[in-house]
Amino acid sequence: MTDPKPILKADDLSKRYEDGILALDHLNLEVRPGEVYCLLGANGAGKTTTINLFLNFIPPTTGTCFINGVDVNKDPLEAKKYVAFVSENVMLYGNFTARQNLDFFAKLGGKTALAKNDYYQVMRRVSLQEKAFDQRVKNFSKGMRQKLGISIAIIKDAPAILLDEPTSGLDPKAATEFLEIMAELKNEGKAILMSTHDIFRAKEIGDRVGIMKEGRLVMERTRQELQYEDLVKIYIDYMKSEPLAV
Amino acid sequence: MTWTIARKEILSNLLSYKFYVVILLAAILAATSFFVMTRDYKERLADYGLIRPKAGEPIAVNPPNPLSIFAKGLDEAMARSFEVETIGVTVRAGQKSGNAIFAFFPTPDFLYVVRVVLSLVALLFGFDQVSREKEAGTLRLMLANQTSRSAVLIGKWAGNFLSLAIPFALVTALGIAVLGLDPDIRFSADQVLRLALILVLTLVYIAFFLSLGILISTLTRRASSSVVILLFIWVLLVFILPNLGTLVARQMVDVPSVRALSEKREQVWTREILLRIKGQGDMPSHIRTISAENDALEADYRIKFDRLVNLSKNINRISPVASFVYAVTEVAGTGIGEEGAFKREVVRYKNAVLGRMLASPDMKSSEYPAFLYRYRPLDRVLATGTLFDTAWLAAFGVLFFALSYLAFVRYDVR
Repeated sequence: MTDPKPILKADDLSKRYEDGILALDHLNLEVRPGEVYCLLGANGAGKTTTINLFLNFIPPTTGTCFINGVDVNKDPLEAKKYVAFVSENVMLYGNFTARQNLDFFAKLGGKTALAKNDYYQVMRRVSLQEKAFDQRVKNFSKGMRQKLGISIAIIKDAPAILLDEPTSGLDPKAATEFLEIMAELKNEGKAILMSTHDIFRAKEIGDRVGIMKEGRLVMERTRQELQYEDLVKIYIDYMKSEPLAV
Repeated sequence: MTWTIARKEILSNLLSYKFYVVILLAAILAATSFFVMTRDYKERLADYGLIRPKAGEPIAVNPPNPLSIFAKGLDEAMARSFEVETIGVTVRAGQKSGNAIFAFFPTPDFLYVVRVVLSLVALLFGFDQVSREKEAGTLRLMLANQTSRSAVLIGKWAGNFLSLAIPFALVTALGIAVLGLDPDIRFSADQVLRLALILVLTLVYIAFFLSLGILISTLTRRASSSVVILLFIWVLLVFILPNLGTLVARQMVDVPSVRALSEKREQVWTREILLRIKGQGDMPSHIRTISAENDALEADYRIKFDRLVNLSKNINRISPVASFVYAVTEVAGTGIGEEGAFKREVVRYKNAVLGRMLASPDMKSSEYPAFLYRYRPLDRVLATGTLFDTAWLAAFGVLFFALSYLAFVRYDVR
């Protein structure tokens, strides 16, 4: 049986900023349905730039991003129909309740006919406390806001999910709960691209793990390959190695 | 999508205390303005009752305009008493504002509240529209969906405009309805239409400042920078530029002083009287000469003065705030154009009275025609500059919004 078509695809993707910094250097990457791809790397390695390019927040210098086969640069609005996004710091609208936030972003995601119960169901699924459903978000902890952020991604029901360091700053319990939800979404067939600093969780959840350094994808391993290798050692070795030749 | 964002903005405003503080402040100021200006109008109306001419008296007096409650403009100048005598027109005291504090501070009419306070309120609604969302990270989340940047910007603009315009229109309509209950204040159908037009102009004015606020918000990274820049622009647009034109125009156009004009009139009068004493010509011919030469002096003065006024107006229009003031005062019938038309009517009245005086010197005073000034019809008011000023104001609003869009398309949302 042939592999399903990738939902997320970076094809020879490069980004050089106006100040001359090469943030991304000829990246090739694919994420298929039911696959979690973890991008590891130090700050400035190009992980967030990759996500920003997939979301059309910045244009690529060369190369193309595809979401569900749609060229992000050519038809960004069509491409974004097929992707949901969870950022590092889900701030949301503090004066709105969790449900009001969910309702707003669901509508932006094209879900215009949802009932109150649909929102409650999603919030229950991410284990947000019931009493928080109709509370203002400004009093939420970071963990609660991240859960609400993932609710927004779930309710959009897009085939791809982009996560930019979603577990950063979360306590271990919240981070574990978060990854459990990711595993569920993966099992539902979502293609998940997650940038992270957390090597252990990347190994735990990632079907493939890529290490980025100075804008390049310097290593890629599958889950099977990582069973026989020490990801921590590989990561540290790459970080310690000489700067890449330009 | 646009409406979803507009609704979010409205809900966001309704849930914020800033909204209630600002709306309450604007409502209190509007109500205070109505109260103060109604009293002022009533006092001037009572004065008019005292100075209005008896039947046949050759005096031109215009009653105060009820729309001066909203935009006082030059209504006091138009409500003076113009007494026709054989040597010309003598301007006597008219209705004066009873409130002497008006001499020190600008008249707190509705126009002032809108011009100064509402413009600031509109900026407060717009100044952080983009920068705040960027700082909070919600802009990224919004644009990660199939939402175009134009939908975000239009939605934000529309939501904030409605949040501001609806409560303000309701407060104003309520104020007008309360004024309508006062037996001393009677608005004709034409004046009600003019009030509606003033309200529309006010909404265009709000839209202009909201667009400006959003523009600066798209050009700055932080809301704190945006507010400082906007305060500077606000002072420039509302207070400095509308006065700059007058100062510059005075340097460019030479207009004789009113004193010089009076002296020239006195010279004409003295010359004609001396000729009469010498026995040259009859009295009616001297009076006709005095009247004609005075009219020529007045016309010459008026031409120069109009040139000065037009130049000042054109320079002042650098600030759309000046356009707004011109448009509202003209629609209210208290503007420069209306005052010019009124003065021309007074001269016509003087010539009619003088013609009768000279035709039959023994004519009884009860036979002089009564002065009645009819305000220029609205279509003429619109055609002579007001429509241009409205379009100018709206064009600036559209331009600023278009620039906001261009800036937002390039805005780094990261």
